[in-house]
This record gives sequence, structure tokens and C-alpha cells, in this order.
Amino acid sequence: MDLDFAESTLRKIVDRAIEYGFEEAQAAYSADASMAVEIMFGEVSSFENSVGRGISFKGKLYGQMGRSHTTEFTDEAIEFLISSAADNCKVLDDEDPDFIYCDPDNSELIYCPVNEAYEKNTYNRLVETGLSLEKNLLAYSDKIKAVDYLRISCSKGPDIMINSKGLRVFKDSDIISIIAGCRAEEGDIVKSGSEFWYGKDIDLFDEKAFIERLASQLLPKLEAKSISSGSYETIIENEAFISLFGSFVSNFSAYAMQKGLSLLKGRAGEKIASDCFSLTEIPMYEKAVNKVPFDAEGVLTYEKDIISEGIFKTALYNLKSAYKEGRKSTGNGFGGTALTNVVVKEGKRSVEEIAMDIGEGLIITDVSGLHAGLNPISGDFSLLSEGFLIKDGKKADPVEQITIAGNFYDMMLNVKEIANDTKALPGSNGEFFSPSIYIGKIDVSGED
Amino acid sequence: MLSDKLICDIIDSAVNSGADLAEVFVEDVRYQSVGMLNGRVLKADSGFDSGYGIRLMSGTNVVYVYSNDSDEKVLMKLTKEACSAIKKGDSVNIKELEELSRSTMSDIRIDPLDISKMEYVDFLKKSSSIMTTYDPAITESTCSLKTTNRIVRIMNSKGINKEENDTRIRLAIEAIATKGNEKQSSRLAPGTLKGFEFINDYPVEEKTRECCEKAIRMVNAGYAPSGKMPVVINNGFGGVIFHEACGHALESTSVGIKNSCFTDMLGKQIASPVVSARDNARIKGEWGSYSTDDEGNESSDLLLIENGILKNYMIDELGARRMDSKPTGCARRESYTYAPTSRMSNTYICAGNDSHDDIIADTEYGLYAASMGGGSVDTATGEFNFAVDEGYMIRNGKIAEPVRGATLIGKGGEVLMNIDKVGNDLELSAGMCGSLSGSVPVTVGQPTIRVSSIIVGGRDSDDSNEDEE
Repeated sequence: MDLDFAESTLRKIVDRAIEYGFEEAQAAYSADASMAVEIMFGEVSSFENSVGRGISFKGKLYGQMGRSHTTEFTDEAIEFLISSAADNCKVLDDEDPDFIYCDPDNSELIYCPVNEAYEKNTYNRLVETGLSLEKNLLAYSDKIKAVDYLRISCSKGPDIMINSKGLRVFKDSDIISIIAGCRAEEGDIVKSGSEFWYGKDIDLFDEKAFIERLASQLLPKLEAKSISSGSYETIIENEAFISLFGSFVSNFSAYAMQKGLSLLKGRAGEKIASDCFSLTEIPMYEKAVNKVPFDAEGVLTYEKDIISEGIFKTALYNLKSAYKEGRKSTGNGFGGTALTNVVVKEGKRSVEEIAMDIGEGLIITDVSGLHAGLNPISGDFSLLSEGFLIKDGKKADPVEQITIAGNFYDMMLNVKEIANDTKALPGSNGEFFSPSIYIGKIDVSGED
Repeated sequence: MLSDKLICDIIDSAVNSGADLAEVFVEDVRYQSVGMLNGRVLKADSGFDSGYGIRLMSGTNVVYVYSNDSDEKVLMKLTKEACSAIKKGDSVNIKELEELSRSTMSDIRIDPLDISKMEYVDFLKKSSSIMTTYDPAITESTCSLKTTNRIVRIMNSKGINKEENDTRIRLAIEAIATKGNEKQSSRLAPGTLKGFEFINDYPVEEKTRECCEKAIRMVNAGYAPSGKMPVVINNGFGGVIFHEACGHALESTSVGIKNSCFTDMLGKQIASPVVSARDNARIKGEWGSYSTDDEGNESSDLLLIENGILKNYMIDELGARRMDSKPTGCARRESYTYAPTSRMSNTYICAGNDSHDDIIADTEYGLYAASMGGGSVDTATGEFNFAVDEGYMIRNGKIAEPVRGATLIGKGGEVLMNIDKVGNDLELSAGMCGSLSGSVPVTVGQPTIRVSSIIVGGRDSDDSNEDEE
């Protein structure tokens, strides 16, 4: 759709809303064009292409913030947007005021990091990349029997937002991602493993490194066995740690604290992690694929410590939760609150060096069932896990069919050392960078 | 949204480009929801979404394009791209579209979309007023009510011209109990294809009190033990064990590419002889039901396992082509943004002969999983995990102290073989299932069952309730 038309439609909506009686109003347009190919048995098994768009509206009436959404751009749809948001305001009974915002010094926010590399993502290029990856995954080892899932997808799309306070936002972003899942077999034993890559330039995809990473975590699983239940000195590998920490990130939201849904309430300035653990939000982090200069409420983001040498420095605020405490938004307003790009400060030593000190223990490489096996409020978790034993200070036998169980808050206070092998995983509004973490002892359930 | 003429033109272009099946899927969704937190209405939402998806198949080669932009130029561009990407297959004849036939599995007397949001609020207040005053230990509470009406139309080059129209309501109630730094939540979330009469008849006060009691009980519980032991799993949502450990591995999405531990096992013993199981989409008014699937085929009541013998897989069109078989009417998708795949509907272990009390009495020591949380499975290996929301130890044939924080892990094939008791108290329970074609409403179900040995991932606790032994 023509972006000028989209913007003029947004203006029409905001003007109509004010005329309707809304005290403040904001309208946002979001579009998305994506393409994906899937490869199986040496050919394209699936090709997907899509074009999507939508308009969301929010407006303040009777002191309540009503919201609505549509995918249509007709005059009738605009009336529906406004009247249904007004209806919602009549039902809402929120005691805390919400806001529509514009910083007069930053009323025009524009960020368009999409570059010409995106043009390389043609159908033929995605297919060629996928076919080569499938072929070379199968050729890597005769134990790799199938590539059950191989998908390459790319998407980009502009977002425009304007409001009655004078804010105008234009943002564009793009991404390409590759995911492959393989099956390895040896005798009756079947194991599966997957790997993921994302970036902004398909030329930077390193097929060889991707295959090495996938094979190095998949093939050892064929030899994996459960171990006896007990308490083990444990290193949680970078990606597994990011997944685990990410499941508890909502506790850092000021909104969750205000509603009594986070045990971090009132603990700013207190020690919540070991001295060696620091977590910093760096919205414009140079290593991040997508930078985040402003949040979804039009507030500029900035670099800040969340945890500094174990001390909890600040909760994450949006406009609403900040007002409740008489302070400023931290630029984390994304619907609720969310982190942008965050970085756990690296230590000095490698996982191998730390393992030498541990002597006997466990390296956890994967945790499953994060949506079910943990209590995001209490911090308790019990998760199906995989990894390796540490024997005589070295990574040894692969381990399967165990759970690790503990409490997130206890674990963070007990962290012994941070390794120097940082990796990143994407979240909804940025990436999480973390090295592997030596967490001390943890309870393991397995075969007795 | 799209005219019949335009749809026929799309189907013509697709088949002329080499597709042996061309399908157009059009979806219109209307929804209305209200949510409360700690006694206040913080969410109210309503709206509609619509979109379309065009699928071309040539053998096992699939092209899928979709959009919510009904501009003819966008549609023709996507169609053209789809036609150029499809592999050239055998030429087929296009059958003329049949007369439109409409179906539903909804069983509605009072349309929930005719009820105002204020009435939703009035209903929810019955629950929230109990939770906010029940006990000082209940420190937070949420409840919500959401109605979704989904009308889909499926037309294809084989002449299929079907419309399915289902309205679903789901209530969710959650109470959170606090004790010092501990917080435990208890949740219930019934869902139905019945009308607002289901909500009017629902014993919300009684269920809310039970929910509060459970949260308080669990926040005071010690940690579950670790290791292998017998586990008795309660009826209803306990069926998530079968859903995860077996159901997903019987979908053609995995069987069709031999990525399932149950590939090539039809007619073979895959479960203990006391186990029979069905996937039945044709229960009127049940949360996971539908009459016509998202490929336009009639849904079915499928016997999956009979006395431990594997009888059927759940197969969609693509799976049927890969397995040289026929679709079983199980193709589903969250919305037009997904191509359909084989999915479960109402999937349950059939009732057996033992009573719940006899199964407990027959168990000297083990874990009783009174209520289950969610879980996940790797279909290739059968490895699964799921959480126990409400657990109790069984000691000397009696239910003893409550325990929390347990996760059950294992391999599907082994667990099915290790079911040694099946109760006579079958019950179904609503849930959402996420897979390749998105999140779809399903019910899981079972009578009380006992698994003779399963790994319980708990924590060895210093303050375990050994004094109650």
C-alpha cells in the first residue's frame, strides 16, 4: 500500500477520534511482507509469500484508554475502530491513568535500517541456499538420516504511528532467518536436533559453521544416557541460559511489581544476583541485528544497567507504570514492558577452564518445556534437560532424560562464574546476549 | 471478501500452471473479550480480522500465499507468484464448484456475541469478588472471558465448496496465593462450542472457591521428590500426557516423513492392552470439535488405538500424498496465515474398568498428579515433558501430603506400554495446542490412569513433609 495513503488514513482516524470526543488519540499502521521456502528430499516442499497490514487505534475517553484494531481501510472500518474503542472505554475501570505521548524535542522519530542486502533475498537465492544446506547436512555424517525441517524466511515492513499530541513515527525493519532440524540414527536410537541463524544479509550466512554447530550438538546425543538423581555442580551453556533467564524476564517489569506479580517488587538497590553477574540493556548495541532507538510509545530508549555486580538497578517502565511511581519511562514500553537488546557481562575464562576447576559436574546444553515446567512468579523450575557430564575437569559423556530443578532467584544469587563464550538469541523486541554461566549446585532427577 | 468468479479464476490459473490441487481459503473472525485483574476491568477488546490463503499442490510440492489485503492487484500478484513457484505436475481437470454447503459443531441457544461486554463484566465479577476477599493468602487474581466466531470457506479444484461456522467461548480464572516469597497459582479455563447458556449455567462461585483452595494448598506444599516411581494421573486435563506423548507422533505431519516413533506401526502393539484412544472431532458443542476441516473434508471420529494396537493415524492432504493414504478430516490451522496440517481435535484415552479410588488404593507409593500443566514433545524421539500443577504423594494406598514443582519426563512409547490401570471416569478438558499450523483449540481427556514407572523431576527438599508419613 502507498505509505502516504496509509499516513493520511491515520491522520483521518486521529482527527475523527478527537471530533468524536476522545481527549487524546493515536493510530498506528503496520505492514509486513514475507517470503519463506521449505526444503525436503532435495526439492522445494513449500513456498510461502504474504502481504499483511493492519491499523491499531488507542484513545482516551472518560479517563480510560480504549483500544481497537482493524485490517480494513474503509470509512466504515474507521468508524468501527473509533466506536469500538469508545465502547471499551465504557467497560474499563482501570484506576491507573495511561498516556499518549510526544516529546516536543523528539516529535519526529524515523529509523529505517533496511539496506540493499534485503534485495538479495529472491526466491531463487533462498532455494539455492536451502538445497545446499540440506545436501551438506546429510553429507556431514552417515548418522544424519534426514533433514526433517528446513525453512528459510525473510520479512520486512514499515510501521507508521501518529498521535494527537504531534508525534510522528516511521520505522522499517527487516530480517532473514534459517532454521534446520535434523534426525540422527544409530541402531534403534533416534535423536533430533536443530539450529537457527538470523541476520540482515544472506551473504553472511556461514553454512559450514551452521552445520558444525548442529552436528556438534546432535551427534553426541546418540550416546546419551540418563544419570543418577542428585545434586551436581553445573554450567548452563549460553543458549540454554538465555532461554531460562528469558522465561523470568517479566519479573523485571514495573507493572508486574505494581500488580504484585513479581518478587522483585521494592527490591531496587538490593542484591539479587551474585557479584559477578551484570546485565545491561544496550538498545543500540553494535552487535545486535536490529537496533531499537525508541519504544512503541514514542519514548527514546537509552543504555542502562538492569543488574550491576549483582545489585538490581532498575525495573522496566512504560509511561503508565512510570507515572504511578512519579518517575520517567525507561523507554521499555512495548504494549506492556519489554527489554530491547540486553547483554550479560562476559567473564575472563572459557567453559573448558571453568570445567577444569569443577572437576566433576554437568554442562546443560538444552532445556525444554519452558512454557510448562516453571512458575514465572515464584521462580521455581523443573525442566527436561540435556547436556554432558564433566569428568576429571573435562566435558565427557552426553546426558539425556534428566530434569534440573531449582529456583531462579536462588540460582542467580548462587552464580559462581561467567564464561567468555557469548551467544545471542532473538526476543520480541531485541536480542539477549549471554555467555555460559556456572551456577553452582543444582538438583538433578534421572534414573536412580 | 473475494467473489466466486475471482476464486474460480485463481483456481484456473493455478491448475493451468501445473498444480494438481488448487485451494482458496477465506476466513472471517469476530471476537469480543473482557479481562479483570484484582477486581478491576483492565482489558476490553473487540474486533474482526479477515484474510485469505491460496494453496497450490503438485505432488508433495506446496505453495502457500496469504494476505489480509483484498485489493485485487495484491491478490493477482500473489497468485502469479504462486503459479510461477509451483512445480509442474500432472495435468488435472478442474471440477465445477459444488453448491455451497454450510456446517457447524457449535450448539448455541444464546449467541455470546449478542451479549454486551458489560454483561461479561457482571459475570466475571462473580468470580473476582470471591477471589479478592476469599483469604488474605490469595493476593492476586485474574479472570477473563473471550468469545470468537470463526467463519471459514474452502473452495478447491476438486469442486469442494464448504463453509464452517463455529463460535467458541473460553473462561479463564486464576488465583495466586502468596506465602512469604513463595507464590503459587491455580488456574481453570473451561472452553466450549456452546452458547452463552454455558456461562449462565457454569457454577462459577463454587469453581472459583476450589481454585483459591488449590492455590493456598500448593503454596503450603513441600517440593516433589526426584526419581522413577509409579504415577497416578487424574482424569480430564491429565490427558495432556496422551496428547503430548502419543497424539503428536500419530499426526501425518511427522509420520508422513518418517519423523515419528510410531512410523510403520499400524496393526502393531504400541500401548499396553488396557489402552484404547480416539480423536473425535464430532462431539457437538465440545471445545475441540469442528464439522468440516480446513481442507473442506468432513471431520471424523477416529479410533487411534484399540487395546494397545495402533489402528489409525491423523492424516491431512499432504500427509495422504506422502503416505499413499486418504485424508481423515483432521487438517487445521490457526488462521489464514498458516497452511493447514494434520492436527488433533478432542483426543482422549477411552474409559476402562477401574474406579479412581481403587487405583489409588492399589498404589503403595507414588505420585498422584491431580492436575496437570502443559508440556511438549519431540515426535522423532518420543521424548516429552509436562508439568504437574497439583501433586500429592501416595503412601500406603492413600493420598498424602501435597507436593509442588514436579515435572514428568519420559519417552512416549515406553509410557504407553507402562500404563497398567485405566479408570472408568473419562472426562474431557479444554486447551490450546501449538504446532506447525499455529495454535488451535483442542480438548485432551482421559479417565484416571496409572503409569507403573516414570521419571519425576522434583527437588529434594529439606522441609519435606516426612512427618506426615
